[in-house]
Amino acid sequence: MDNFSSQIGLYLQGTLVTLSIFAITLIISLPLGFIVTLMLNSKNKLISSFADAVVYVIRGTPLLLQLLFVYFGFPLIPVIGKYLTFSRFVSACIAFAINYACYFGEIFRGGLLSIDKGQWEASKVLGLTRFETLTKVIIPQMIRVCLPSISNETITLVKDTALVSIIGVAEILHYSEAAVNREGTPLPFLVAAAVYLIINFFVTVVFKRLEKNYEQ
Amino acid sequence: MSSKIIEVTDLKKRFDDNTVLKNISFDVEKGDVVSVIGSSGSGKSTLLRCLIDLEKSDGGTISIEGKKLIDNGRYAPPKSVRSIISKMGMVFQHFNLFPHLSVKDNLLLAPKQRKLKSEPELEEEARQILEKVGLLEKIEAMPSQLSGGEKQRVAIARALMMHPDIILFDEPTSALDPELTGEVLNVIEALAKEKMTMIIVTHEMGFAKHVSSKVLFMDDGIILEEGSPKEIFESPKEKRTSEFLSSIIR
Repeated sequence: MDNFSSQIGLYLQGTLVTLSIFAITLIISLPLGFIVTLMLNSKNKLISSFADAVVYVIRGTPLLLQLLFVYFGFPLIPVIGKYLTFSRFVSACIAFAINYACYFGEIFRGGLLSIDKGQWEASKVLGLTRFETLTKVIIPQMIRVCLPSISNETITLVKDTALVSIIGVAEILHYSEAAVNREGTPLPFLVAAAVYLIINFFVTVVFKRLEKNYEQ
Repeated sequence: MSSKIIEVTDLKKRFDDNTVLKNISFDVEKGDVVSVIGSSGSGKSTLLRCLIDLEKSDGGTISIEGKKLIDNGRYAPPKSVRSIISKMGMVFQHFNLFPHLSVKDNLLLAPKQRKLKSEPELEEEARQILEKVGLLEKIEAMPSQLSGGEKQRVAIARALMMHPDIILFDEPTSALDPELTGEVLNVIEALAKEKMTMIIVTHEMGFAKHVSSKVLFMDDGIILEEGSPKEIFESPKEKRTSEFLSSIIR
């Protein structure tokens, strides 16, 4: 175990990468998910069918495949491939952001459906614009409805970040697997497990707080 | 300009194959309290919703304070529509309070966005209006903590915050327990005394008789009969009107 202290820097570095992918995905996919919802609900058939198709493909195929496709597949696309060549880390963020945006988009769509049309009508007769209605009346109520599902997805996201080790992004699992192979002990896996558990502990606490704030 | 605050001529409304309003014409004078009665499905609520642009009419003319919302089937441009309907408030059967906002914020949201007055002035006004509907002590409460009658009174207060010249009531007591209708009707009656122009779709015949200056009886998409409460309730001309009234008042 004296190796452990010399390794601690590596574990921290891995944890930082895991946290970065988690945070970047969340920051991009939440607003992007809302755009997906607006597209799914668009009156323009072309836009809504396009969004439908994208959501179907993304939700219907493994995230692992999407990850491999962005990193190894994109550069091989004829003509435009050379513009779609990204580093391991950026590829991971792209695949995750798109994937999670589709899931969040579906969650938000459910939230939007749950809001009574009387809310739109009351806003209209009070003279609120559509934008004001959306931001002041609809979205706050939508968030409350969606929070438990968003919380669920966020916890899944923490664990999904482990997938990026497949394209060689040096996150926590990558380091612990290397350590297991090198040292012939399963302990480094437990270190990684502890890291995921600690992150999810904080995620759970934050969402519990948010849910309490949005109670009526 | 005439003294008519609302003039409706030949208003038509269809939902697919179902014609809900067939050439409706009537007018409302400033300070009138007009009750609209009739069995469910006769088009009462649809009429109200057409007046405030929650439903698009398929033909006819609606003029509010001399300005045409729809002129012979042609709607005014969106900007004018907004400005025309801003003269009216509406109170719904199911209240439609904003459940995520306190009573105070329900009242303040729209006037703040429209910047009708400064925030402290608006807050003071909200207090006064809540006092008028007897709910000042609930100013910080959330809608879920209120009874149905209280919710509806907050909804009325919220409408008043926008200083409407006309308030439309769509069955304001139909979703309430019978013992809670009185408190809401009292508020409406107080507004009638202040000469607020109101159109009230209602099944409360006693109230309609007592508070209105004019009663419209709707049947199957037309105004079958209109007159003073005395005329409609005591000596209806149409057989259908007396049938309806006797079925409701036993």
